[in-house]
Amino acid sequence: MKPTTRRSFLRTTGLLGASAVLADGFFGETRADKPINFAGWVFKPDTVKDYVDVYNQKFGGQVKYEAIPWAQYHPTMETRAFGGEVFDVMYCAHNFRERWYANGLIRSLDDLPGIDEMKKKMNPQNLESLKAKDGKLAGLPYFTSLFVLVYNEPMLQQAGIKAPAKSWDELVEHSLKLKKDKVSDYPFLPNWNVSPSGTMPQFMTDAFSEGANVFDAKNRVIVDQEPGVARAMERWQKVWKAELVNPEVLTKTSSTDTHRLFWTGRYAYHTNHSYYLKTIAGEPENSKLAPKKAKMTMYPGTGQTYMWTDSYTINAKTKTLDDAWKLARFLGGNLAGDWYVQRQWCLISGLDNPYPEMYEHPEIIASYDRWVDLKLLRKQYEKGRVIAAYKEPWYSEYDVKAVPIVHNMIRGGTTVPQGLKELVKLQKSLE
Amino acid sequence: MTVRRFRLSERCFASLLILPVFLAISLVVLFPLAYSLWMSFADVNLLRATGPALELLGLRIPLFRYVGLQNYLRLLSDPLYWDSFGRTAYFVGAFVLETTVVGLGMALVLHERFVGRPVMRSLLLIPWSLSRVVVGLLWVGLLDVEFGALNGFLYKAGLIDRYISFLKSGFSALNVLVSVYMWNQAPFATLLLLAGMQSIPIELYMAAEADGAGYWQRLRYVTLPALRGILFLVLVVSTVNGFLMLDLIYVLTMGGPGNETTTISWLGFQTAFQFFKFGPGTAILYTLTVFCLLLTVLYQKVMFRKLEAEEA
Repeated sequence: MKPTTRRSFLRTTGLLGASAVLADGFFGETRADKPINFAGWVFKPDTVKDYVDVYNQKFGGQVKYEAIPWAQYHPTMETRAFGGEVFDVMYCAHNFRERWYANGLIRSLDDLPGIDEMKKKMNPQNLESLKAKDGKLAGLPYFTSLFVLVYNEPMLQQAGIKAPAKSWDELVEHSLKLKKDKVSDYPFLPNWNVSPSGTMPQFMTDAFSEGANVFDAKNRVIVDQEPGVARAMERWQKVWKAELVNPEVLTKTSSTDTHRLFWTGRYAYHTNHSYYLKTIAGEPENSKLAPKKAKMTMYPGTGQTYMWTDSYTINAKTKTLDDAWKLARFLGGNLAGDWYVQRQWCLISGLDNPYPEMYEHPEIIASYDRWVDLKLLRKQYEKGRVIAAYKEPWYSEYDVKAVPIVHNMIRGGTTVPQGLKELVKLQKSLE
Repeated sequence: MTVRRFRLSERCFASLLILPVFLAISLVVLFPLAYSLWMSFADVNLLRATGPALELLGLRIPLFRYVGLQNYLRLLSDPLYWDSFGRTAYFVGAFVLETTVVGLGMALVLHERFVGRPVMRSLLLIPWSLSRVVVGLLWVGLLDVEFGALNGFLYKAGLIDRYISFLKSGFSALNVLVSVYMWNQAPFATLLLLAGMQSIPIELYMAAEADGAGYWQRLRYVTLPALRGILFLVLVVSTVNGFLMLDLIYVLTMGGPGNETTTISWLGFQTAFQFFKFGPGTAILYTLTVFCLLLTVLYQKVMFRKLEAEEA
């Protein structure tokens, strides 16, 4: 065997070193990143794991993903941050974002490369809602959603109703007829469930559809000064009193449970988050109203409905900012030019995103066509209305404590003017 | 050369033996208890944990800002707390009564000899061994107004002409919670009472029979007095469990409709983990501890007063 000389050793190692440098230059994308921790609440965790695998393989990432149950997600993340644990990239619901940002758990994204391009591509309303109170961007979009009105076409046809309601009066009139004709015990299914995704977003939606404001420019509750809110609440009392709504909806613990009631085909109208229409009208194995027997129609009144944006955020204490930002762009942006993650959420779950250009993609159009009129849905999104009140420290407590007040109003336990005054008083007491 | 032996007294030796366990218990039980008690007197924000802190095993444990009795005074002046207290009292009362009566009834049945008794005794433990979240989901599946198996069964049997909404009002929802929790917990009471019954000397029954006592008299004058200690345990355990019950509310009603199934434990959980007010949240939950202690003392006094009088 030829002995290794100092000269041959230097030549060999020099060649190896040069090839390594060149390889990094040519195939920079496959360079292994530093390990980063990524946490999200449990929603299709296998799908998220697939994204992470794709990312690790395609972009040389070393992402460790952890799914935490939804109900305890935000307290868990805070407790673990308290214990010194750092999750570099984290999901964050819109109503927790300001708290995390103001307390230094997450950082602004404004100084990160490429952010201005991404902002330009986003729907301005969603962009605004992703900003913290100081005007800086606090997260990239995980998904956006808004309230829509869905109707059961076969039931309306059976009752001789030719077209879905275009106004609230018409909706109530249809519901009364369906009840009277014994076509449905409870024709109307509003999302009055007790969770934070139910009663209060529905309350804001119906107020907006009446052209009313719920908060003023300083984010104070002003519902007692808005005739549109009173009109919406009087209508809610009316449909409750006429037994047009299943009373059990008040104890449903999630919007998911609420929308499942509509699967039975025993209700005529339903209001809920837009993505639930995908299971209602697109999953024949679950819903009696699939395929496409349940349809969306524009929300009555002004057509405006409550819209929100949940997000991916970056930990302010991350030691791997470049890699965390790269992962965040893969998840909440368009890192490889194919909208991979955002597109998958649209296709798999009907979770929308604030990038309008994505809806021109033929795969997206074909997929949505199986469960909704995409053009109509996009038109509804143009009417989506965001709020800024959730950026206030009192909001989460107000949001929970307001539910019993609204439930009492619905059931006639308090009058509408009294109930609306109680909401204002509640908000003031929490300031 | 004389060898001086170092001798430990028996007391010191025993203390040394239990020291590791005492330290472990202090770390995992006493310290969290003391810390959470401290939190109930403090203004706590987990995300702003600056200021004075304890260092323990390399961990920094913030002490937060002391606010005295403020958290307690605020909750005691909150009408929602007193509403929740009323519902909690109803819930605990109904739950303890149902659990004790049903547990005793099942224990009496399982104490008798009949074919299949070993199987029945084994099956009895299934509800108790299930996690409460699973119990909640199971009962959602049974009671649901659209998909519920119970509604389906009653409808198909022709007993109802439309599905029943078991959770439509606050009071019926609260009673559903009581019954579901009883279903989950009564087997444990049965187990304890059955063990107690098996330890009653057969001679007592024979003597009672010889005196002409019937079934109810034997139950009244032999079984129940002999079970006094076990009944005390059942009452204490079910009272504490009743006060602390949270999981079923989470799965079945989330405190609604309105606040009509909000108990003190749910209010404390909401305050601490939904509003992130850990100070007031722990204060609410410590009031539960006080109620549990008071009721335990009361049970003890009532149940053993007669016995003590007899012994005296």
